[in-house]
Amino acid sequence: MDLNKVFILVFIGVLGTSIFGQEMTMENDSIPIEDLDEVIVTATRTLRQLSSLPLPVTLISKTQLQKTGVIRLDEILNEQTGIITVADESGFEGVQIQGIASDYVLILINGVPLVGRSAGNLDLSRLTIGNIKQIEIVKGPSSSLYGSEALGGVINIITETPKDGDLHGDISYRFASFNTHDANINLSQKLDKLGYSFFANTLHSDGYDLQPETQGQTVSPFNNYTFNGQVFYDFSNRLKLFASGRHYQQQQQADLFVNDEMFEGDSDIDETNAHLRFNHKANDKWALEYEFYYTNYKASEILQSPITDDVFSQSNFDQNLVRPEIRATYTFKPKHALTTGAGYNHENLDSTFFDEKVVFDSQYVFAQYDFFPWEKLNLILGARFDNHSEYQSQFSPKASANFQLSEAISVKGSIGYGFKAPDFRQLYFDFTNSAVGYTVLGYNVAIEKVQELETQGQLTDILFDLSELEEPLEAESSIGYNLGAGYAMGNVKLNLNFFRNDFKNLIDTRAIARRTNGQNVFSYANFDRIYTTGFEMDASYSFNKQLTFTAGYQLLYAKDKEKKVALERGEVFARDPQTLQTIALDNSDYFGLVNRSRHTANFKVFYDVPQWDFNINIRINYRSKYGLFDGNGNGILDDFDTTFVDGYALANLALNKTFSKKYTLQLGANNLFDYKDEENIPGLAGILLFTKINFKF
Amino acid sequence: MKIMIKFFTILFVAFVFVSCSDDDNGPEPLAVESKTATNIPAPQTGGQPTSDPIGGPFTKFSFSTGAVTTSETEWDIAFRGTTIAVNGGAATGTNDEPERNGEAGAFVATGTFASITDAASYTFAQDSDSGFAILTGSDNGWYNYTPFPVNVISPIPGRVLVLRTHDGKYAKLEILSYYRDAPAEPDGMADEARFYTFNYVYNPNEGQTTLE
Repeated sequence: MDLNKVFILVFIGVLGTSIFGQEMTMENDSIPIEDLDEVIVTATRTLRQLSSLPLPVTLISKTQLQKTGVIRLDEILNEQTGIITVADESGFEGVQIQGIASDYVLILINGVPLVGRSAGNLDLSRLTIGNIKQIEIVKGPSSSLYGSEALGGVINIITETPKDGDLHGDISYRFASFNTHDANINLSQKLDKLGYSFFANTLHSDGYDLQPETQGQTVSPFNNYTFNGQVFYDFSNRLKLFASGRHYQQQQQADLFVNDEMFEGDSDIDETNAHLRFNHKANDKWALEYEFYYTNYKASEILQSPITDDVFSQSNFDQNLVRPEIRATYTFKPKHALTTGAGYNHENLDSTFFDEKVVFDSQYVFAQYDFFPWEKLNLILGARFDNHSEYQSQFSPKASANFQLSEAISVKGSIGYGFKAPDFRQLYFDFTNSAVGYTVLGYNVAIEKVQELETQGQLTDILFDLSELEEPLEAESSIGYNLGAGYAMGNVKLNLNFFRNDFKNLIDTRAIARRTNGQNVFSYANFDRIYTTGFEMDASYSFNKQLTFTAGYQLLYAKDKEKKVALERGEVFARDPQTLQTIALDNSDYFGLVNRSRHTANFKVFYDVPQWDFNINIRINYRSKYGLFDGNGNGILDDFDTTFVDGYALANLALNKTFSKKYTLQLGANNLFDYKDEENIPGLAGILLFTKINFKF
Repeated sequence: MKIMIKFFTILFVAFVFVSCSDDDNGPEPLAVESKTATNIPAPQTGGQPTSDPIGGPFTKFSFSTGAVTTSETEWDIAFRGTTIAVNGGAATGTNDEPERNGEAGAFVATGTFASITDAASYTFAQDSDSGFAILTGSDNGWYNYTPFPVNVISPIPGRVLVLRTHDGKYAKLEILSYYRDAPAEPDGMADEARFYTFNYVYNPNEGQTTLE
């Protein structure tokens, strides 16, 4: 799609709504898009007012979720500044924040983590937004509170809680292109001491096929279901119980064509979460939380010939996490709080590609002091210590400060350490590609397996002294710096944040031995050092609280430091496309890491007409060109690569009309201009039209 | 003063005469050859995508003639699929390989083609029962293999094969393409593979190592 078209449309839209807007008479009961007393819990694990927090935070409200008509978490995250979901080299999708890949972003529901990643990516389309109160995103390292995986940021999904003694609920049904059906039911009630809520969602889609000339569909048909039941019980004003059970399951058709022979089967996912928490306010000073969490994630896939019933491939993945945690907050005086916590993590994973079930155990303690040494200055100091059974212990400190320069302007900055423990795959993988003949071994099993291959006479060469592999693999780690300022006055809000994240010990594969078939045996090692740096900017302006414009922009440079050194030394080459001769490259030819767009931007208009119970919004999201992989064999993305994906913008539109305060009819279109890139972006389906009816009581 | 000038003139003339006569006594040095070999076929039997063992004769190439040769002795390097043999050392154990009867050797250098100017500083490896002098396998020797989405064998940019020929002369070689007619962006599904195109520089003078 032509970007110009988008802007013309936006212009017409804006013009139209502005003129429209002037004809309106003002009403006072209009709903502001953003609440003034926004509070979030993710940044400090205590309730904190958003505006005074010293960290870069994005808050997505329920109002925004409802008005935009999105149904899955990935859709709404893609509309936030500096946050996109991308498919990496493995083909699996995950979220990228400040240029940091999905492997390094922690996803929480009500403060407890989700497990079940595919090649490091957690698929956010797994999460329906039907019972979400708000989504909190804290950017930058937060390992000081959350431990492993919280390098790039933390996304915390907060679910809805019961409001009052009446039975409340909503029932909705949405029909969309590609024969997509999405239905929700929400029920909740808060009696005297007992509160409860129940939520169910079902989503079906026929999928789509971007390349009908090839066999199989781009996305195969699928069905999924989400159930969530919650119980709230107040034993007293001081002791409160929260219990939640969630189950998600998906069935998707799977097929594979090998030399015109078809194999088909099912790809299934089952996820269960059980979360129990007691909030105990011991006295005015002490507040305690006792938490127990269990989650299980299972994935399985089978492909077999429909004619002969021969099984082509079968894989299973079964991961469990058990985590008891206790937290205590001591309030010295208002706004001076010390939070401490301790917990135990037990994880295990059984997979087709592991010899046996593998187990991780870790223990941790953390502390955080949140205080105002001076009325205008807020400091948060925190640290966490993780002791782990399989890799070196980690100490993760973090410091952040917010200074209220004036009523309208605040300056904020933070420095934090983040880490990601080597995952099960990096430690225990044992996989040989039967078609090509290479082998990938987890770090902890590499010595044994290589010796096994050696005694079987399958190796010609061992490339490293195996004793080098006896040192444990180190955790990947980063230091993140954020420095920003916020301005809020009247109808105008501005936020600017400069960021830099320095990563070291990134784990990647390297060849450790050579097989007699000429192929390599790979294993994992700590070697890469990368950085991501740039700035993000958000601006919003609202007229009369009816018409709101918001705009966001992120500039990003994400590069590999080792590659930069090699480029400086003239050790990186490419081929001239005309002569095919080798030329030496320098840093000006280096584009950066794959899947990173230098520019991402969004522009949104929300328009409310309270007297008509009507609202409309249009959101445009742009990302500039990015590279998919190194296509010319020199290990970097450079100006001579032809593996770039053109920049593009997507426009999403939604209209809402409420009747009798109870029924809402929604119409809309995602990817309004039907942008597609069949070759490079299989996840982009083209225009999706939808209509939704919601009944609220 | 005049005598002095005359004396130097004579001396100079005499010197020039002597130098010239000295040169005339030796053979004229041969020019270093800089050429491109195109579409050298390197067929093989078996191997991917079949499960049959790799086989078939190697295509032998001689730098002195600048052409493919069927000679059992007058060859320097030989191609079969992505495998490159040199006429020096011993049999590697693969099927249908040519007999090594020369003193050829190879070193895989890193740099632009022009930056490799002399063969003197390299240590040359020979084929042996532990493998080929030019390592086989993706990323090990001269090429890498990208299975997805293009299924292409690409010569690694910056890899220059520095070679000693079967009769002890020196050459350097840069592989440009593994596909017929050297398309700039080969398509592994459509373009015909196992056709080498390479630039080479060959110094035909005995004992000379310069390669420019």
